[in-house]
Order: sequence, then structure tokens, then C-alpha cells
Amino acid sequence: MGKNNKSKVLILSLALLLAACSGDDEATKDSGGKKDSDGKQEQKDDGLYSIEDFSNVKTNEGEAIDGGNITFGLVSDTVFEGTLNWNFYSGAPDAEILNWFDEGLLTWDENYVYTNDGAATYEVSEDGRTFTFKIGDNVNWHDGEPVTAEDWLFAHEVIGNPEYDGPRYNSDFTNIEGMEEYNSGKADTISGIEVVDEKTLKITYIESTPSLLTGSIWSYPLAKHIFGDMAVADISSSPEVRENPIGFGPFKVESIVPGESVTLTKNEDYWRGEPNLDGVTIKVISSSTVVQELETGGVDLISEFPVDQFPDNADMSNVEFLGAVDRAYTYIGFKLGTWDAENNRVQPNPDAKMGDVELRKAMWHAVDNTAVGERFYNGLRWNATTLIPPSHPEFHDDSNEGRAYDPEVAKTLLDDAGYADTDGDGIREDPEGNPLEINFISMTGGDTAEPLAQYYVQSWEAVGLKVNLEMLEFNTFYDRVGNGGEDNPDVDVYQAAWGVGIDVDPSGLYGAEALYNFPRWENEENERLLKEGRSEEAFDLAFRQDVYDEWQQLMVDEVPVFPTLYRAVLSPVNDRVLNYAIGDGTEIYLSDLAVSQDSPVTAE
Amino acid sequence: MWKLIVRRTLITIPQIIVLSLLVFILAQAMPGDALTGLIDPSIDPATIEAMRERLGLNNPWYVQYIDWIKGVIQGDFGQSFRFKMPVSDLIGARMINTLWLSLATLILTYLIAIPLGIISGRFNDTWLDRAITGYTYIGFAAPLFIFALVMLFVFGFQLGWFPTSGSVTPGTTPGTFEYFISKVNHLLLPALSMALITTVSTVQYLRSEIIDTKQKDFIVTARAKGASESRVYNRHVLRNSLLPIAAFFGYEITGLIGGTIFIENIFGYPGMGELFLSSISLRDYSVMTALVLLFGLAAIIGALLSDIILSLVDPRIRIK
Repeated sequence: MGKNNKSKVLILSLALLLAACSGDDEATKDSGGKKDSDGKQEQKDDGLYSIEDFSNVKTNEGEAIDGGNITFGLVSDTVFEGTLNWNFYSGAPDAEILNWFDEGLLTWDENYVYTNDGAATYEVSEDGRTFTFKIGDNVNWHDGEPVTAEDWLFAHEVIGNPEYDGPRYNSDFTNIEGMEEYNSGKADTISGIEVVDEKTLKITYIESTPSLLTGSIWSYPLAKHIFGDMAVADISSSPEVRENPIGFGPFKVESIVPGESVTLTKNEDYWRGEPNLDGVTIKVISSSTVVQELETGGVDLISEFPVDQFPDNADMSNVEFLGAVDRAYTYIGFKLGTWDAENNRVQPNPDAKMGDVELRKAMWHAVDNTAVGERFYNGLRWNATTLIPPSHPEFHDDSNEGRAYDPEVAKTLLDDAGYADTDGDGIREDPEGNPLEINFISMTGGDTAEPLAQYYVQSWEAVGLKVNLEMLEFNTFYDRVGNGGEDNPDVDVYQAAWGVGIDVDPSGLYGAEALYNFPRWENEENERLLKEGRSEEAFDLAFRQDVYDEWQQLMVDEVPVFPTLYRAVLSPVNDRVLNYAIGDGTEIYLSDLAVSQDSPVTAE
Repeated sequence: MWKLIVRRTLITIPQIIVLSLLVFILAQAMPGDALTGLIDPSIDPATIEAMRERLGLNNPWYVQYIDWIKGVIQGDFGQSFRFKMPVSDLIGARMINTLWLSLATLILTYLIAIPLGIISGRFNDTWLDRAITGYTYIGFAAPLFIFALVMLFVFGFQLGWFPTSGSVTPGTTPGTFEYFISKVNHLLLPALSMALITTVSTVQYLRSEIIDTKQKDFIVTARAKGASESRVYNRHVLRNSLLPIAAFFGYEITGLIGGTIFIENIFGYPGMGELFLSSISLRDYSVMTALVLLFGLAAIIGALLSDIILSLVDPRIRIK
């Protein structure tokens, strides 16, 4: 399947409207993908499902016919914005459309490491800082012009331009030599990027880290022969982005009805070879009609299936459900300090209400996330153990069990730490004997948000902790948690979720200088491990694995936050569709996509 | 008459200014801004802060208001942060969709309401009337969201008579006859779903008005003079009963550009309702304020229109 963009870490809100993140619906292949012979899911007796029973590759039934057209349903309750260029887009729906007609020059394997089978190949210098890229000779834009090193350089120049209005300029770019000088206007060119010849580009990075190989290279060129003469600030609203977008992917955009549909035809000149299908229609469908569209064959593939609708539709006869582990986790965080805006780092507060690690451990032991996953999500979300989700099989430590549900352990921990019920009302006081009331905030969205948060409150009450819950809308929630660095002092505990990027490095979330370190937690050992994880030594996989195993254990010991649930993504595919897979490194590409009959199979 | 129109128009000007001020202050009071959703650790917070500065989000509200109002007077509503395009272009494109949908709904609403209202009023307390009032009660009680889903399920998916999403078949060339037919075809089901629900209040109005009018003295007089039953109803009763409907019409115009989030969402029809709601939740201020102003303006003009229509139809209530 086509490669998504590579934004490193992003947030998942329970509200579907959030457009900040991009393409987080792709996840990696889960280890034991097994299914029964006819490709349908088997429901277990208890009404629960497990991600291990899903495959991420479609079972092919029947012979491919020549050509054919398919319909892709873009499931979204908001329309797509129509900023159809990798260098400028910001909403996830736009990325879903981009996937079909444009792609990155580099591809990656199932461990998210760049491979040499993409549109461009790469070589790394001895010191690991200089990358030489060679774009394939047969890689051409849809208008026939070759994709050149100039185009690739141009993408960097536009994103680094102070007038640039998209969200891409980030630490990946500032890590390029000379980029900050260029961005601040001190230099006219980016000294670290050199066009060697028409198809060869050389980029020198300031710091060599294994993260470079897992998504930190900007691999989306920008067609200079089209956008070269435009003012940078005008590109994103130009008709060349919105009405006649260009790429070099397997399909070409034929027409766009703003906000509702896109028709694409095959790009005969595609560098991997002519695609099997004649064309693709992408149309926006509401999450409330997804099931009907699938049953009637109105769509063959969809971008995202609402997992809560799966139990009722698991036996839909005309589709096969593919599944994968999502690159995301839900977690509960403890506020342990504030943000020091002057020095741009966290300011831990040793007297914080949640400052006692035993209290935090007890709160983790007190909740039964296995039950939450089964009751609320039919097993399609399940107990999380560490802060590196199993979507990163190389780094997720299977042997680390986290902290299991055990209210007795929780009570003992609290007793030993001095949290005792001194006035006999069934509620524990803090070690000094003062009343302890913990303020917990959670996000609204969906039917289960509130009962789920209430469940946590009751679990904590069961071990004698008084927790006050407040449900907040997305914007208000992050305002209080400290999105802008101004943490609301009334918040003690919060429930949120992170989508993680393809690179495993968590320093953007837990480093002392990270604004998104919402717990405002600092720890020397943590800093050391995060640093080692992206050091040159970490190019050695075993070393990096050890570092992150140790880090996962450290987070279980220190509990600045604790993970609650991992999640599955499901993708129903019409039976007539062949050669389709979700997840990364499957080596099945959109140009391989084919159908076994002219019209979609409909449900019986 | 003209005096009235001029006077009413003059009154609307301070109304609009107060409205725009209110909208702006309320928008500022909401937590978060367009960049709140951009929670991505790989983006330097300093970059986000620089974007805020460039967009003027750090200025005090009155400075932002003055900047904004300056633009508005010149017809420039600013740039949508989310769509990266001028707000006026964005609203223009959506408004056309919503306008067509609302117009179709309005026509269907009156096509249903007038005959049903007349029958129900003329033959009140018969079985026919009870059936019609029964329908109106169901209409009052049925949530639009559920009803539209049922309609879509039955006529769109089960019977396959109508397309199930979008405003036009993907790939048809604008300007052709085929394009027009496809547009109409896509309009019918959402418009009908909405009309069947919204029409019930008009049916009820018309019914009670007819029942009221037909007992009036002048109708008795008309009958006494030997006018035929159809003449009595068509010439005397109906004319006098349409008064409240005419008054209502001005307000219906307001609804024309508002769109409904439910219908648009279910039918995947990009219109104003969806734009409004998502602009609020994603804090796309420039779009949101422009829309509220536009809706407010439509409400004010709608009220004005209603007053004018009323005074045209019924000289007795002409305001002195």
C-alpha cells in the first residue's frame, strides 16, 4: 500500500474532527496474522475479537480481469480540505487522496527503515551524516517532465522559506546543515543540500541518528517547473494544488468535486509499471452509512472503519476485514510540574499532589484495562503494557508486563506510603492527614467516553481514592493540560492518547525540553536513555533495542504516565479486490491493485 | 411603503455592527485557536508561536477586530486557516450547494404543505384530516437525523432509486446537461427527507387558519349569496388563510443559506452546515465569524422581508 507521510508523533483525539494528524490509520503488520480458510473472521464464543485473528493482506479469490474501476470510500465526518500536495496538506482526509496519485521517493520496510526499492535509492556516508540519493530514470511527473533533484531541493527550499504556510517545518528540517540560516534569511541557499546532477541529490545532516533512516528524511519533491515561479505564500491556494494537482504516483487526478469526490485514471507511465486498474473514484462517505455502502458495493475499499460497528457486522458476506495494530496508545498522565517558558523546559514540582511514585503505581494497579478493552471495545482495544506499542514489533518489549490489575497490591502500596483513611469515611487522606481529592479530566467524544472515564473513577474509589471527574471538549482539554505551556494547576490526572510516528524515539513526548511532556516530568536516567536511543551507537539494532527495553521498564517503575489501551485498525475490502494490504512493508503497491469482476460483490 | 423599507434598512445597520462585535468577542472567549490541534512534537513550539504571531492571533481582540472589520468593509473576509483559501471563495462554493438544496426543500415543502393543509382544514374532523394530522404529529416527533437515515436506507440502498452520497456523480463535466440531471438527481432524496419533516408545521398552520377562517361571518355571507363551495374555498378562505404562511416565508429564506448539518453529513453533501460546525470545532475563526455574520444578516433581512410581505398582503398591519 502507498506510503503515508511521516509526521513523527501525533495526537489522536476522541473527536473525529481533529485534522492535526495525518494518516495514522496505517499500522504495522502484526506478528501472527492467522485466519480461517474462507477469509472470514471467526467470532469467539464470548463475543470478543482479537487482532491476532486478522491478516493485513487480502486473500485473493479468483483471477484478475483486465482493467476495471474501483471506488474508495473516504470515511470522514468533515469534508476534505483539498490541499492536495504532500508539502502543504494538513488534514488526514487529504492524505488519503494524496496516497493514490503521489508518493514519497523513498519506501520503507515493515520496521519502517528506508529501503532501496523506492523511486529513489540512497547511500549513507561513513560518518552517517551525508546521504546521496539517486532518483530512478523512469520517474516522471504526470505531465511527462522528469522528477529531478532540483524538484527535491525545491521542496526543501519552499518548506524552509519563512513565507511557507504549511505545518512541515520541524526538527527534521532544522537538522539539515544550513537550514536555519536559510530560514532566518541569513543565507540564500541551503548549504547542506547539493544537486549533483539531474537525478542525484546530496543532503548533509547536522546530527547522525538512526531516526534519519526511519522517516526523518523529507522525500516528497515539489514540481519546480510548475511551482517555481509562484510566490511561496500563494502555492497552497493555487489551482495547481487545489484543482489540477500533480504527482508521480500510480494514478492521475482527472477531476475533483470540492469536498466530495475525486476521479482518477491510471498513470500509464508509472515508474513501477502500468497499473492494473483503469481508474479509481474516491468519494466522501459518512461514518453512519459506511456499512450500507459496503454491503451494496457502493464502495470497494474504505479509509477507516469505525471499529465500534465491527461486532454487528463481522459476518458481512461480501467483504474481508483486514486488521492491523494501530500506531497509537491511550494513556493516563499525572501532572508533576509546570512548564518553564523562559528556559523552554519542564519545571518539576517536588510537592505536586501526584508526586509520590507509590500513589501513581497504586493508581495503575487499581484499574483493569483488560476488562475495559473487552467491555467497551469487544477486545479490539486491549490492555497496554508499555509506552512503545506493538505496532513497533522490533522495539515493543513483549516480556514487560507493565503493572497488572490488582486492587490488593494497590491498597498495600497506598497503606505503606502512608495514604491511610484517618477519619473513617472510607476515603484515604494524604500522609500528612489532609484530605486528598484528585482532579481527573478526560475528553468528550463518542458514546463511551464518559462511562469509560467513570469506570476509572470508580476503580480508584474502590481502593479508597477520591477522584473528581470533569469531561472536556478537545480544545478546552488540551488548553488545561498545557498545550501552550500554561498548565492549569487544578489538573492532577488526565486521560489522553498519542499516535506515534514510524520512528520509535519518544523524546518529543517525554524529554525534559519537550513541550508535549505534559506530565512535566524530569528524570536523569530517562534523559540518558533517550539520548542513547538516538545516538550513533544506536545504529546497532541490538543496542537500540536494549536501550528502549530499559526505557520501557523505567517508565513502568517511575509511572509519570501509564498506558491503558492499545488499539486495532480494521479495513473491510470487497471480495472482488485483489492485491491489497494495509500496513507497512508489505511490498504490495497500489499499482498492483486489481479486481476479479466488473462490479463489486454485494452482500447476500 | 418605501419609508418603511428605508427605515427598517437603517435599523439593521447598528444591529449588524453589534452582531459582528458580539460574534468576535465570543469567538475570542473560546478556548484554543486554529493552531491548538497542531500537537506534533516534531514541530518546534517556536515555529507554532511564529505562525500565531504572523496570523495576528496574539494581538488583543480589539486590534484583531479592527483588522478584520477593515477587511470586511472591502469585501475581504480573510483567509481560511484550514482550507488555505479565501473565505469568500470557500463560502461561495458551499453556498451554491446549500442554496440548491434549500430551494428544492422549500419547493417540496410548499408542494406538500399547501394541498395537505387545505384538505385537512376543509374536511376537518374527517378520517382524511385525522390521517394528515397524524402524519404531522409523527413529523413533529421524528428526529430529522433518524428519519433521513431511514429514507437513505430504504430509497438509496434497498431500492436503489437515488444516489447515496455527494451532490453530483464523480467525473461528470460541469456545464453539460448530464451534469445538471445528475445534480437534480442527487438533490431529490436529501431535499425530500428534509421537506417531509419540516413541512408539518406549515400544514398545521394552514389547517388551523382555514378552520378559523371558514367560520368567519364573511364566509357565511359568501355562502348565503350562493357562491359554490369551491369558489368559497379558493377565492375567500384560502386567500385569507395564506397570510401567516406568507409571513413565515421571510424566515424560511434565512434557513435557505444555513444548511443542516444532519442532512449534509448523512448524504455526504458539502454545504454550509458542515462548514460552520467544523469551523467552530477546529477554531477556523475567519470562516466562523464570516458565517455567523452572514447568518445574522440573513436573519435580519428575512425578518425585513417578512414585514414587507405582510404589509403588502395585509394593509391593516402596515406600520405607521
